[in-house]
Amino acid sequence: MKKLIAILFLALSMTSISAFANTLKLTVNGMVCAFCAQGIEKKVKALPETKDVYVNLKAHLVAIELKDGQKISNDTVTRIIKDAGYDVTAIEESSHSLAVIKSELDK
Amino acid sequence: MNTFFSRVLILSGLILFINSSAYSAPLGYQGSVMTMGDFSRNWREASFNYAVTNRDAYGFTHLEMRGDDHDEERILDAVTYTRLLSRWNQPDSQSNLWLFFGVGSLQGARAHGNEERHFDKVMLTPGVQFDYETRRVYFAVTHKLYRASDINHDFTSVRAGFSFYETDYDKTQPWLILESRYTNHLSDKVEITPMLRLINKRFFIEGGINNDAQPRINIMYTF
Repeated sequence: MKKLIAILFLALSMTSISAFANTLKLTVNGMVCAFCAQGIEKKVKALPETKDVYVNLKAHLVAIELKDGQKISNDTVTRIIKDAGYDVTAIEESSHSLAVIKSELDK
Repeated sequence: MNTFFSRVLILSGLILFINSSAYSAPLGYQGSVMTMGDFSRNWREASFNYAVTNRDAYGFTHLEMRGDDHDEERILDAVTYTRLLSRWNQPDSQSNLWLFFGVGSLQGARAHGNEERHFDKVMLTPGVQFDYETRRVYFAVTHKLYRASDINHDFTSVRAGFSFYETDYDKTQPWLILESRYTNHLSDKVEITPMLRLINKRFFIEGGINNDAQPRINIMYTF
C-alpha cells in the first residue's frame, strides 16, 4: 500500500512538473558521435532562454528546456543546429521536463 | 623509451594548455578551437585550428617526421586551412568530404655519404579526406601531399573501426580502430596500427602499438 501511495505521489509530482515545463524536442540528422555533437549542446546552452539541454544520439533527439516564460523561434534553433553542422528534420513542442523525457527514453 | 613517453606527455600537456590542434574530425563547430596531436616514433604532429564558420578553419601545425633509418628528417611548421567541402547528414550516419591546405617552412637534414646536408625550403601540403561514421562504425581515407623543391611525399591513410557498444551522449564510448598509413620517400613500410579509441564529448584519445612494435597516441580536444 505504501508503495502504491509512493508511486501515485511520484506520478502526480511528475505530472505537476511537466505541466510547467516548456520544452522543444528537435529531431536532428547526423548526430552519431558525442565528440562532434557537443557543439550543439554548447551553442544551445549559451542561449539566454535555455534552462537545460538533453542530447540523445540513439533517438536523434535534442531537447531544449526553456526558462519560465521564454520562447525561441523554430528558425533560431534550426539555424543554431545547422551552424553546428547538423540538420533539423522536425520540431515538436512539449510540456514535459527534460527529466521526464530522459526517463521515457531510458525505459 | 622513457624519454619518448616523457616527451609525449609534455607535448600532450602543452597541446591542451595552448589550445593546440589534432587529427580525425579536423574541424569543430563555428567559433571552436580544435587541438590535435599525433605522436609516434617517426611521426610527431601537434596542431590547432579555429573554426571561423561551420565549414572553414584556420590553424597552425608543427610536424616532425623521419625515415625508419633516421637518414631522412623533416620538421615542418605551417599555417593551415581546412574546408568542409560537403557533409551528408542522415538519421543514423554522417559522411564528410574535407579539403586541407597548408604552407610553411620545412627544415631537415639529408645524408650524403658520410656528410649530412641541412636544408630550409617552402613546403605546400594540400590534401583531401573522406569519412563515414555511424554510432557503431567508422571509416576514413586521407591523402595528403607534402611538396617542396626536390621533396615529394605522398601520405595515405585508411582507417576503419567499430564501437564495442553504444553509449549515452555523456558517457565514454570505446572503439577499436585499425589504421594503415604510408608515406613514400620517407619509409618503405606500410605502418599498421590497431588502436583503442575513447571518446567523451570534447575529449578524444587513441592509443596503440604499430607493426614495428612502436607505441602511438593521438589526442584531440575541443575548446
